[in-house]
Amino acid sequence: MIWGIAAFVIWAGAWGLNVRLSHSALVQSRAGRLVVPAIFGVTVLLVWECTVRGLQVPGVILPPPSAIGARIAQEGPTLWADFRQTFLKGALRGYAIGCTAAFLTAIAIDRSPFLQRGLLPVGNFVAALPIVGIAPILVMWFGFDWQSKAAVVVVMVFFPVLVNTVAGLKATEAMQRDLMATYSASYWQTLLKLRLPAALPFVFNGLKIATTLALIGAIVAEFFGSPIVGMGFRITAEVGRLGLDMVWAEIAVAALAGSAFYGLVALIETRMTFWHPSQRR
Amino acid sequence: MKAVLPIAVVLAVITALWYVAAIWLNAPWIYDQAVRAEAEPPTFIQLVPLTMDQDRPVLPTPHQVAAELVKSTFGMSVTSKKSLVYHGWITISATLLGFVMGTGFGILLAVGIIHNRAMDLSVMPWAIASQTIPILAIAPMIIVVMNSMGVQGLVPKAIISAFLSFFPVLVGMVKGLRSPDRMQLDLLATYGASDAQALWKLRVPSSMPYLFASLKVGIAASLVGAIVGELPTGAVAGLGARLLSGSYYGQTVQIWAALFAAAIVAAGLVAIVSWAERRTLKRMGMAR
Amino acid sequence: MKKIVTGAFLAAMAGQAYAADDVTLQLKWVTQAQFAGYYAAQAQGFYEAEGLNVTILPGGPDVAPTQVIAGGGADVVIDWMPSALAAREKGLALVNIAQPFKSSGMMLTCRKDSGIATPADFAGKTLGVWFGGNEYPFLNWMNKLGLATDGSAGGVTVLKQGFNVDPILQGQAACVSTMTYNEYWQIIDAGLKAEDLVVFKYEDEGVATLEDGLYVMEDKLADPAFEDKMVRFVRASMKGWKWAEENSDAAAMIVLENDATGAQTEMAQKRMMGEIAKLTAGSNGALDEADYTRTVAALMSGGSDPVITAEPVGAWTHQITDKALQ
Repeated sequence: MIWGIAAFVIWAGAWGLNVRLSHSALVQSRAGRLVVPAIFGVTVLLVWECTVRGLQVPGVILPPPSAIGARIAQEGPTLWADFRQTFLKGALRGYAIGCTAAFLTAIAIDRSPFLQRGLLPVGNFVAALPIVGIAPILVMWFGFDWQSKAAVVVVMVFFPVLVNTVAGLKATEAMQRDLMATYSASYWQTLLKLRLPAALPFVFNGLKIATTLALIGAIVAEFFGSPIVGMGFRITAEVGRLGLDMVWAEIAVAALAGSAFYGLVALIETRMTFWHPSQRR
Repeated sequence: MKAVLPIAVVLAVITALWYVAAIWLNAPWIYDQAVRAEAEPPTFIQLVPLTMDQDRPVLPTPHQVAAELVKSTFGMSVTSKKSLVYHGWITISATLLGFVMGTGFGILLAVGIIHNRAMDLSVMPWAIASQTIPILAIAPMIIVVMNSMGVQGLVPKAIISAFLSFFPVLVGMVKGLRSPDRMQLDLLATYGASDAQALWKLRVPSSMPYLFASLKVGIAASLVGAIVGELPTGAVAGLGARLLSGSYYGQTVQIWAALFAAAIVAAGLVAIVSWAERRTLKRMGMAR
Repeated sequence: MKKIVTGAFLAAMAGQAYAADDVTLQLKWVTQAQFAGYYAAQAQGFYEAEGLNVTILPGGPDVAPTQVIAGGGADVVIDWMPSALAAREKGLALVNIAQPFKSSGMMLTCRKDSGIATPADFAGKTLGVWFGGNEYPFLNWMNKLGLATDGSAGGVTVLKQGFNVDPILQGQAACVSTMTYNEYWQIIDAGLKAEDLVVFKYEDEGVATLEDGLYVMEDKLADPAFEDKMVRFVRASMKGWKWAEENSDAAAMIVLENDATGAQTEMAQKRMMGEIAKLTAGSNGALDEADYTRTVAALMSGGSDPVITAEPVGAWTHQITDKALQ
């Protein structure tokens, strides 16, 4: 009961604080932008801790954040090795290959109406294959190491980036294209100077969705066979051993790495699409 | 109708490549067997038919998959447990429920985020972080927790599905609702429009292209979520169970058939969303 | 004693007059002949005759039975003893109430052309293992052989194999873990001949551990009503097992009817039932203390990294089987 009340008080207090902070001058600064979500995150953790303790949830169902934190501190080297295997080797390489391929494909089918009519529906169909299904097949083909994980990531990120880029390339208005035509701009000039910049908000939309998919894809692929290192491997192995604190430690690392990756892409987006209305504050 | 020829050409090329790949990938097995039987390795001409109809091919040929697909879709009564229609329906129902929940939640969050500065600053980073959680890892926990609360069946799967589909909608809608430029917002301000009016009359209409682009990704994500959600329930029924049980027993033909069934379902769902998109944008005069 | 009589009486009267007691059983793996006894007991009405309404939940690669029972999702789970004892050491008080499986079906199956003839040849080879609680018997064996499993020189390279035997078929691993009743036959079905393979049974290597026992939470056992329910459950289950051993083909068909995925084949299930019957033969359901001691000794002898560190106390009981089997 006490824990329940504590959880509620913490929640209400922190939210009130955040509302005040978000209207204060502090959020104009870079640091202020970090403080507000940080408070929110800490609140969630505290409420979680209180709830787990209050309801006496067994540790094998949901461990409290304090136990998870202790585990992270303790298992640093293991977590780093897993992170390197899954994120740096599998997810990042797959992301780079997949996004590049999707972007180039989008430009290729933009150039040729024939390909656009033929490839896009087929591409939609093939790319809609659920990831879980192709994972065992790709593991069978590309072996157990990071290559198969990267292959899964390639397939996973391809679709969102392709769809968004194709949509983005159509985002110019007839008036704008006519203007380019009156300048007697070539196809490539129009593409580079008008249509690609105009497509960027859409492209980044796809790239951002792909960041989270990449990490999930790499982790999920490890469920279907892997060497004995990697975040997905550790999660399955530890669930069976009831090491739920270790499972959540891996999840925390995944969430942290994924958010940082997303943040990086979002930062590049802000730099490159500063002109778009949605970027104005 | 214009699209038929290009699609046919592309499909023919893919099918041809597929057959080549099947011969290439299934051949090592034939050679391996020949070596162990201490027989002469087959010539290429002898090899080709041997790779076409293996029981456990590395890559089943298109006609094997098509035959299995037809057999398990039309060859069985729809209530049979070997019927893909039966499994497909189970997955679709969880997908749709999850999609509705996820879309609703995503839109609500997006509306909250553009109107409330505190929500914008605090929720968005965590919504992103939530998506980096490997769903397959927490799916069993969701099922276990829901189970101990007495909720079973469709809802836990739909929740996993909603968890995956809300994010694309959220990202797209935040972008879409912010897409009206300053001039348009200022105009509404000079009319003395309230926030709610600005939302309904300007922001929501201008967000439609973004919404539909996200919905197409979202419904595909929902399907993936529903399939993932079927695994930790003991893979009882549904396309996910079909995929996984095919994987346990090394029945590659069954995996590919289930995969194509899932892709057909996904394509159908995306097509429905696209149709709604075209209708809506046309009526709004936004079709290009 | 009186309760048992009452229980039996109720059981005899079961059905209309009284609502049957609900029991939820979590299987360790998917619906297959490995669990034929429980499905047979259900289909033959043995549970009903005991006044029980049993729900059988199939497992799968993502289902840890220990976690399910900790979350209250099942009354009784089927698990392997190493995993159950490890869970017990982690603070989840699981108790073995019955042990229908006498022998272990676990093997390491190797390709002959990989150059492996004896366990001494494992060094430097790639071996496929299941994880998620099923790795303990393997790690224990490697410890005994003095082979490192962490990838250091002179040891073995461990691969987390998926749910099938592809690694050995594709030559990605020299050996894979198999069960006598399941994966071994998948290799044979895939076209490898028995003479192409070298098989190491855990049972023969002296590293066998008890598989497929029935486990419940210790605190619930103190409740007489629960105890009574389990007595009836074990009695009916063992009846189911003996029926399945005698009616092997019919039992396989019952399993097939209960397989909601529709992926199992009649041939495979009948064959599996035949192999399973060999493992359940010789057990009347009661845990053999000698087998238990052997399992514990094996698990504790694991060199630098034993599966369990302290001799478990109260990890099994004859409390249920004594009453069920009298």
